[in-house]
Amino acid sequence: MPNRSTDLNHVFRALADPTRRAVLERLCSGPAAVSELAQPFRMALPSFAQHLDVLEACGLVRSRKTGRVRTYQLAPQPLKVAEQWMAAQRSMWERRLDQLDSYLDVIKEKKR
Amino acid sequence: MKRSGPHVPDPRLDLVLERVVDVPRELVWAAWTTPEHVLRWFTPAPWATVDCEIDLRPGGIFRTLSRSPEGVEFPNVACYLEVIENERLIWTTALRPGFRPSAPPSEENHGLRVTAVISFEPQGSGTRYTAIAIHGDEAERKRHDEMGFHDGWGTALDQLVALARELQTNLDSPKERR
Repeated sequence: MPNRSTDLNHVFRALADPTRRAVLERLCSGPAAVSELAQPFRMALPSFAQHLDVLEACGLVRSRKTGRVRTYQLAPQPLKVAEQWMAAQRSMWERRLDQLDSYLDVIKEKKR
Repeated sequence: MKRSGPHVPDPRLDLVLERVVDVPRELVWAAWTTPEHVLRWFTPAPWATVDCEIDLRPGGIFRTLSRSPEGVEFPNVACYLEVIENERLIWTTALRPGFRPSAPPSEENHGLRVTAVISFEPQGSGTRYTAIAIHGDEAERKRHDEMGFHDGWGTALDQLVALARELQTNLDSPKERR
């Protein structure tokens, strides 16, 4: 069953991790290649790449590939007012429909 | 027919939610159109729906009364625009029953005007339903924002958003860096 989290959920999940916060801090001083970003961390590259994927998926960073080098930069503020408003509306609807779906399960059982 | 629905969503203003449930379509329809069912799910917790009135025909009333955890009650009145049993339900809070235009959002009606299009189709033994929430233009949304409208469920989220912005500001400020 599709149960899309809000964009906001993704942003908070992204910010909850110290590695990802450190990457964001590094990117505040300008774009950087993956190897440079990974350098301060004792972490296998694939694991580190996953952190970058999380940041990119929620719109906090952007990447561009030139030849074999992928470069990351901070993306513009993902939490614009319009998006906040839409996120609040979406959250309300998601929760409303979550309740509906649980309730449907209950009445379906009763009908049996 | 249902696939080419009555509305093409505008991603800047509208929400599209799609769910698949392993419940027959008639039961999903009943949950949307019967007061005793609507009472059980319509308002996200910790708020509750404490009253519901439904006159299931175009122009008929769809009224719910929401109660905040502090016990404050807010009426929501909508008018059905389309009622096709087990297929599609459209209601709007921009009209009162009898298709009479409602007042623009104000402090009194603390109202967000929204039109909801809910489509139901069978999927296997279950149902795929889609809810589209259609909102007004930018100006209406701003009014809604400026009124400090909080529907309870919005408040917690707003606080989180404020926190995220704070974090973001700290991250953006260069003095934080080395």
